[in-house]
Order: sequence, then structure tokens, then C-alpha cells
Amino acid sequence: MHILKRLVKHRLALVGMWVILAFLVVAAFAPQLSPRDPLKFSLANKLKPPSAEFVLGTDELGRDLLSRVLHGTRVSLMMAVVSVALGLALGTPVGALSGFYGGAPDILTQRLVDILMAFPGILLAIMVVAVLGPGLWNTMLAVGISFAPTYVRVVRSSVLEIREREFVEAARAVGTSNLTIVRRHILPNCLAPLIVLSTLQMANAILWAAGLGFLGLGAQPPTPEWGTMLGRSQDYIRIAPHYALFPGAAIALAVLGFNLLGDGLRDALDPRLRGRL
Amino acid sequence: MTRKTLLLACVLLVGLGAWAAPKPGGEMVIGFGTDPESLDPNKITSAPAGMVLTHIAETLLLMTEDLKVAPLLVENWTISEDGLNVLLYVRKGVVFHDGAPLNAEAVKVNLERFRKSTYAFLLFPRVNTIDVVDEYTVRLNLDKPFAPLIAHLTHNFVAIVSPKQIAELPEGKDIAEPVGTGPFKFDKWVRGDYVRIVRNDNYWGEKPYLDSVVFKVVPSDATRLVLLETGQIHAMMRVPPLDAPRVAATKGLELLQIPSVRTIYIAFNYQKAPFTDVRVRQAINYAVDKEAIVKEILGGVGGVSDAAIMPLVFGHSPQEPYKYDPEKAKSLLADAGFPKGFKCTLYHPTGRYMKDAAVAEAVQAYLLEVGIEAQLITMEWAAYLAFLRKPVNEATFDMFMLGWGCVTLDADYGLFALFHTSEWAPVGSNRSFYSNPTVDSLLELGRVAPDPTSRKAIYASALKTLWEDAGWLYLHYEGQLNAQRTVAKGLIHHPREYILAHKAWLDQ
Amino acid sequence: MIQYTIRRLFLAIPTLFGVTLLVFSMVRMLPGDPAQAMAGVHATREYIEQVRRTLGLDQPLHIQYGRFMLGLFRGDLGTSIRTGLPVSQEVWSRMLPTLELTLVSLFLATFLGVAVGVISSTKPYSVFDYASMFGALVGLSVPVFWLGLMLMLLFSVRLGWLPAAGRGGPINLILPSVTLAASSVALVARFTRSTMLEVMRQDYVNTARAKGVRQSTVVMRHALRNALIPIVTIIGLRFGALLSGAVLTENVFAWPGVGRLMVESISARDYPVVQGAVLMLALAFVVINLVVDLLYGVVNPRIQYD
Repeated sequence: MHILKRLVKHRLALVGMWVILAFLVVAAFAPQLSPRDPLKFSLANKLKPPSAEFVLGTDELGRDLLSRVLHGTRVSLMMAVVSVALGLALGTPVGALSGFYGGAPDILTQRLVDILMAFPGILLAIMVVAVLGPGLWNTMLAVGISFAPTYVRVVRSSVLEIREREFVEAARAVGTSNLTIVRRHILPNCLAPLIVLSTLQMANAILWAAGLGFLGLGAQPPTPEWGTMLGRSQDYIRIAPHYALFPGAAIALAVLGFNLLGDGLRDALDPRLRGRL
Repeated sequence: MTRKTLLLACVLLVGLGAWAAPKPGGEMVIGFGTDPESLDPNKITSAPAGMVLTHIAETLLLMTEDLKVAPLLVENWTISEDGLNVLLYVRKGVVFHDGAPLNAEAVKVNLERFRKSTYAFLLFPRVNTIDVVDEYTVRLNLDKPFAPLIAHLTHNFVAIVSPKQIAELPEGKDIAEPVGTGPFKFDKWVRGDYVRIVRNDNYWGEKPYLDSVVFKVVPSDATRLVLLETGQIHAMMRVPPLDAPRVAATKGLELLQIPSVRTIYIAFNYQKAPFTDVRVRQAINYAVDKEAIVKEILGGVGGVSDAAIMPLVFGHSPQEPYKYDPEKAKSLLADAGFPKGFKCTLYHPTGRYMKDAAVAEAVQAYLLEVGIEAQLITMEWAAYLAFLRKPVNEATFDMFMLGWGCVTLDADYGLFALFHTSEWAPVGSNRSFYSNPTVDSLLELGRVAPDPTSRKAIYASALKTLWEDAGWLYLHYEGQLNAQRTVAKGLIHHPREYILAHKAWLDQ
Repeated sequence: MIQYTIRRLFLAIPTLFGVTLLVFSMVRMLPGDPAQAMAGVHATREYIEQVRRTLGLDQPLHIQYGRFMLGLFRGDLGTSIRTGLPVSQEVWSRMLPTLELTLVSLFLATFLGVAVGVISSTKPYSVFDYASMFGALVGLSVPVFWLGLMLMLLFSVRLGWLPAAGRGGPINLILPSVTLAASSVALVARFTRSTMLEVMRQDYVNTARAKGVRQSTVVMRHALRNALIPIVTIIGLRFGALLSGAVLTENVFAWPGVGRLMVESISARDYPVVQGAVLMLALAFVVINLVVDLLYGVVNPRIQYD
């Protein structure tokens, strides 16, 4: 309970939480909130600045930007959740086992992580997308795979620390199997860093997906996705600045929300994580 | 204004420009999008590389900016009655930058070397053997008459470099610093940054005014425009179309719209239902508002296609447009047995052609209005090309968007590879598996017909058949939007997508 | 310490080896081939086949990899398919601009970030603190390409103070490095602030204060010194992020760096260049990590290398 209290006392974290809640509400009710069909195009209305008719203006095909940004919330949040979940699912078991057992497999995994981390992340993602083809799901896969090494590393270092603690020794003494020890004693104790990391990675996932969308390799039109919209808008940045502004602001705000919450969670759950995450 | 008066106006302008006494000296900076992959005529594959090379190493014949074939290193040529021998008379008194003389032997050495080029198909295997007749005459011996050959000799990639340089080149190495006969000499190439060339004081023709020219690589269109505005570069290619009005209104800047020879189209998988039905293909042509796409998305740059090749290409003849008519499209679809439309895939590149993704999106939206649900799929460029090179039994697409630059400005180049049955992928570039005996025989005829008049008639009927058969969803031909600072005079913005600085000067 | 350095470098060899294997297999999984990518829509099948043979791409993968590794032992990274130049020359000429850009950005991130963080931490919850921390959050959340273009419009077009893009004198470095450094400055500033706040709550800082040591001395000598180790760690970690960001920054600012080269080479399927460039970057990465580790010793002489 005291964790929640600490979190609530952390003013900025609270702000972050509200921001994310707001985005979740928007995502849930996007169709109800949108004034128009986000796919309805009309070339005659292209790149209209914000007005009473189009609150945030229109894009290059004359679609309502407000409706697209609102619907984009769904896509972007889903992308972030899925990629982070993927990174988590791939990285955690590897990190836990590698840290718990040590030895040659551990060294091998660590070298592998080194290798992946020595690779500029965006290039890894570009290559994955080039192999699989662009698109919403492949973007999530690319981002998720690129996140896995961080999870491996963080989980492993937590496991190394926990492994030596008394309750693990105790469990081992009464003959609990290794797998059970990992599952029942070690992983629950890694929860704090995992929660913090995942929250921060949500922010990164949104930025990365936006980067891929910017390169035209992310979610495919007409799906309204913030990064793809921002990427498209760069051609019109001088004549229709609103087009870049609103998807950009949506990205920035969501990223901000997750960053604030992540920070707050870190301070509330385990301030010692600061040096590592 | 008719075409003639337009041309006259151009000539007058050029005349006035020349009259305003060009100032010698200075360095002109031209901004473009991609670093040349190479400056070896045998290795280059892109228009930007061709642009730089053409200042240094000249071609045998020149395609002028008003698209006429003119003499360059070859002063004159004759073609035998049967079309099997072409005699090239090489210009006398021309020396390469390294002092080697230009003669028939030098031309032969270059052309023989070109057999191994990326673009060897421009000349070979149509050209069988090459003979040196005398010191300044070369004979090309063909296996079959090949009318477009002269146009092919104007291609930037068929550039002539010093035979001395070729002889001294180690086996397996490419030319890094080309030695040609051109008005400028190679000076320096900082990879990914710029190529610098300097004036050739011994140039055989009219000497350039500029001391040097820098071709600066600026990948982002928006950034390139900023550089022009701040004066860091004097001229640029590819102004974002919707920025055009602003550029035109800016003092000190000049906006130039030049035709391009690239046609953008959406092809169907010809061997796959429902695209086997001509009514479906016609319906799709009626369903899309090409006028609106060109006006609103491309900012009026380029034009709506009225044939499979663009108007400046030899052999072009305009066809009756498929006017935007969704009702007609719907009834055609109903006739074909698809009153409620159907689902299909539409593949397209992103960032390769002007606003390609936005155009694809618009097409998708138009098709949806007549009930055709097209799923858009884009791919990274190299993967896309590989995907579109599968044999017919492995091809999975329904429709795809592609562009084809008819760089030789001859209908053969723009039609044969795309529509002839022998060119079906993966052998050639007929990726839609189009096959029509009438078109096949016309395209073959066009290659061997001796005189321009009969070739014109042949291509006119080929284009008509392709049009009525709705061989593509005909979209548009691209235009180039370039800009320069008003101090930059005498630059030639060529329809083949390059800027020529031979006669340019700086008014400052 | 020298022994330690040498050992670390040796330990890096298997990592670099793994990098080659990974990159090699990844680039070859990409659909499409160099001949097709280069000649584009106009390529003929004959030509594609010919290039494939000349480049040895028709050989089995293990033989191709073997050739690549053999070349590597002789210090030969191969020849670029697209340009025909030696890969080492190609990559090295593009590596320098990138290192220039990332190192300047790293420098900016360190000094600006630490300075802002320290000032914020000495006056927590002040206007400066709120303003700079909010600024840092914005810096973290704004996409690189957007920031770059906006800075360019403001400082080059509107004000005319700085060259818009391109490499040249030191003045050309300002906009791209600020753009690239923005998120790192933000991160370092935030991190420095929180670490400093924590350190300043420690007993020895309080003791120092109680003894009447001047505030600035307390901050500089006692607090900052102890906060530096985690700060150095985070800065080391930023290097990878900077290299990643360099890909986009180089594109916006027409910077002739290795990030752009890699993206171009991936799309041209220029396998040898992609391999060479990634290898060099991995090497740079290893070296930077080593430097960070060695810096610990400088920051805190009590750390022993064994």
C-alpha cells in the first residue's frame, strides 16, 4: 500500500498517470469522440488549417485530422503494449535462466546481448522490417525484438542479486526444484524493475514506431497511426504546419506520460534502479 | 500559346540571357538527392550519377533539352539501306583531359568495354561487332535492324572516357575519377557529401564560364529547399510540389517546371481473375479521378496520362481519356459480374516516386467508392523489385504501382519491355504478364521499320490497342520541379532529370 | 590498468565475431539482391544473373561467410558492390563525420546535462528546476527529425545565424549536434538531478554542511563527485542511442555520415558495406564502453581493476 501512497505523493507521476488515463479513455471511445470518419477523404479539402469545421484541420487527402489523431491513439497504444509485451516475453525467461544458472550459457547469452546492443537499434528494426515487410504487426515484432536484450540484461542483474538472498537459500535447502525457485521466488522479486522498465519502454516503443512510420515502414495507410502521419507531414511542414504539429504533439504527450509515470514508479518501487534504468 | 510560340519565347529568353554578357568565374553549387553510386560509365545506374558524369565524360550523340538528337563527339552518322550497318563519324581535334586524342579506336574501346555494363542492353546484343573503318570512322554491325539505336547512343551512361585510362585500369577495378572530353574535369569527390568538378580550359567546344561546379548531396527535399533559400546552394532538384507557390513568390528564387519522361501506372495481374476481364480493367480506369490526383496531390506538376508513354516521347499519340465516372465504372463492374465489387491487393512503393504513397491511398479510396476493396501493401524498394520479379505461377499480387522512365525518348524503350510477351518477368520487365498478339507484332515491327513516319503509325496503333484494352490503370506522367536562385544563369534543366552547367554563369 | 585494458579488448573479440555472424545472416535474409536494387526497374534477368555470379552470391552461404572472414583476418573488409570501392575506405570516410557528430553531442549531453542537473538539484522545486525539468521532458519526447527541421527554420531561415545543413567548419556542427544531443541532454539532466538530490541527503554531506563548508564546495567536492559514477554509466549508455539517432539526424542535415551510408547500403543490398559498417560501429561501441569503465577509476580512485 505504501507504494501507491508514495506514487500518489509523487506529483509528476500523478500527472503522468492522468495523461495515460486520458489516452486510454480516448482510445476506448475514439469512434464516439471523433467528429468524422477518419478514412473519409475529399481531395478538395486537403491541408485545411484548423477551423470550426475541421477542429485540427485536414491532411493531404482532406481527411479530418482530429478524427485521425483520436483513432491513432488506439493504434499507437496497441502497438506500444504489444511490442513491450513481446520484449518482456522474449527477454525475461532468457535473463532469468541465464542469471540463475550462470556458467557457459550465461556467458553466451551475455555476449549475444552485447552483440545486439552494439547494433544501432533503429537499424535492427529497419532490417527486421525489410525482411518481414512493413506493416503494423511487423513493426511491433521489430520493436519487440529490439527491446528483448534490455530485458535480458535487467532481469539477469536482478536475478544475480536475488539469487544470493536468504529466502532463496532456504528454498534450495528444502529441496525446491530450480525452476520452481525461479518462478516462485526470483521472478516475483524482479517485478519492480520490470514494471518500471516496461513503463519506460512504452514511451520508447511509441517513439520507435513513430520513427519507423516516419521512414514509411510502419503501420500502413489508411490506418491512422501517429508516426506514419508525422512522416507524411514532413513534406508539408512549411505550408501546413498543423499537420505535423498535432500527431507530433500526440506522440510527445503520450511519451511524456509514460516517462513521468515510469519515473514515479521507479522512485516509489525501488529508487536503487535509477542507475540502471 | 502554341508549342511553337512557347519554343520561340524560350529561344528569345536564352538569347537575351546570352546578350546580358555572361560573367566568367565563380563556383556554382547544385543540390541533389542521392550520392552517385559510381562515376564509371560501366557501373552507374542512376540519373544523379549520370548528371555528374555527363559534365566530365561526353556521349557520342546529344539529346538536347528540346529532345532532338544532335551531334556531340560524333559529328555525323549514316545508316545503311538494310539498317544493319551504322557509320559514326568521330569529331576531329578532340582530346581527353589526360591528353589522349579522341579517335575511332578510342570509341571502339569504350563501346567494347560497355558490353559488360549494367546498361549494356542499350546497345547489345543488337550490335554484333564494332569495326574501326579509318582513324575517325566507326562502324556498328547489327544482327537485325534496330531503329532506336541512335536514341540509345545519347544515353548518359554510354559515355566516352580516355582509352589510356581504360588501358591502365587494373583488372576488376572500376574507374573512380573519370577522364573524359567534357567541359569540366573531375576534381574531388567526398562520398556522401559532394562531387566537385573544375573547368576544362582545353575544351573543344564553347568553354564554360564557371571555374567549378559542386554537386552537393542533400537527401531531404525540405532541407534542400532551406539550403536554396539561405543561399548555400544555387540550384536544386525536386522542390516539394506543394511548396511551389511559396518558392515562386519568394524574391531571389526562381521556380522551374520541367517535364520528366517517367510514366507512373498501376498494372494488373493479367493472368488472374477478375483482371482478365477487360470490363473490370476499364471500370477501374473510370473509377479513379486522375485529374484530381494530379491537381491536388501532385500540385499540378506533371500531367494525366493519355497513353502508355508521355507526350514528349517519339511515337506518342494521345488517346480518348477515361473520364472520371464512378457510375459507368459500377455498371461495367456489374456487367462483368461484380455488382458489389471485389477484394484485391494493391502494392506500391513509398518514397520512390513523387507522392507515391499518397497517390496509392487516393486510388484506394476511389476504388472503394465503386465497391472494390483494395488492400494497400508497401515494401522497402529492393524487396519490392524482387517481389515483382516472380514468374507468373508464383506471382501473388493483384495490382501494383510502378514508374518507367522512357529515357531514350523512343516509344520502343517505353513499351517493348513492359508489354511484349517475351518480356514476361522474370526475364524482362513485363511484370503484369500482359500478352496480346496484336501488340506483340506491332512492337516487333516498330523495332525494324526503317523510317520515322511508319514507326510513328505503328506505335500509334499499338498505343490505341493498349488503351482500349485498359492495359494499365493509367495514372500520370511526372514533372520535375526545380528551383534556382536568380543569380544562377544559363543552367539547363533537362527532361532526363539532370541539370547541366556547361553554359551556366553567376550574375554577382 | 593497462593489463585490464588489453584483457577487455581481447574479450571483445568474440562479441565482434558474433556481430559479423549476425549481420552476415541478417543481410542475406533480406529479399532482393544488389543487381536488382542497383539497376532498378530497368534491370534484365541476364544482368542480374551475371552480377550474382561475379559477386559470388551464387555460392552457398557458409562459403560466402568463410570468404568474408578470411578477408577480415587479412584486414580486408571486401569491396562495395554498389561503388566498387574498398569497404574500409568507404566506411572510414563516412565514419569520421559520424564520430565527430556523436562525440560533440556526447560532450554537449555531458556538460549541459550535468550542469543543468546540478543547478536544478541545488535549488529543487524552484522556477529554474521546474522549467529545466519540463524542458528536459519535452526534449526527451520530441522526435529528432521534427526538432531538426524546426531548429533549421528558426536559426537558418528566420534568423540567418547558422548554416542550415551540410558539413564544413565547426559552425556547421551546431544545429545537427544540438538536435542529436537534445534527448541525451534531457536524460542526463534529469538523472543528474535525482542522483544529486539523493547524494545530498547522505550523512557525509550533512556533516560537511554542519562543519560550515561553503555550499558550492559541498556541491562540487562532496556531492557531485559521488554522483558521478552513475552519471558516467548513463552517459556511456547514451552513445548507442546517439548512433541510432544519428541515422535520422544525418538525413535531415545532409551530414555525410555512416548512419546514412548504412541505410543506403541496406536498401542497395550492398552486403559488404553493411557488414563493414556495423562491424566498425560495434568496435566503436566496445571502445566507448571500455573508456567509460576506465573513467570510473578516474572518478573514483578507490575502484580497483583486477
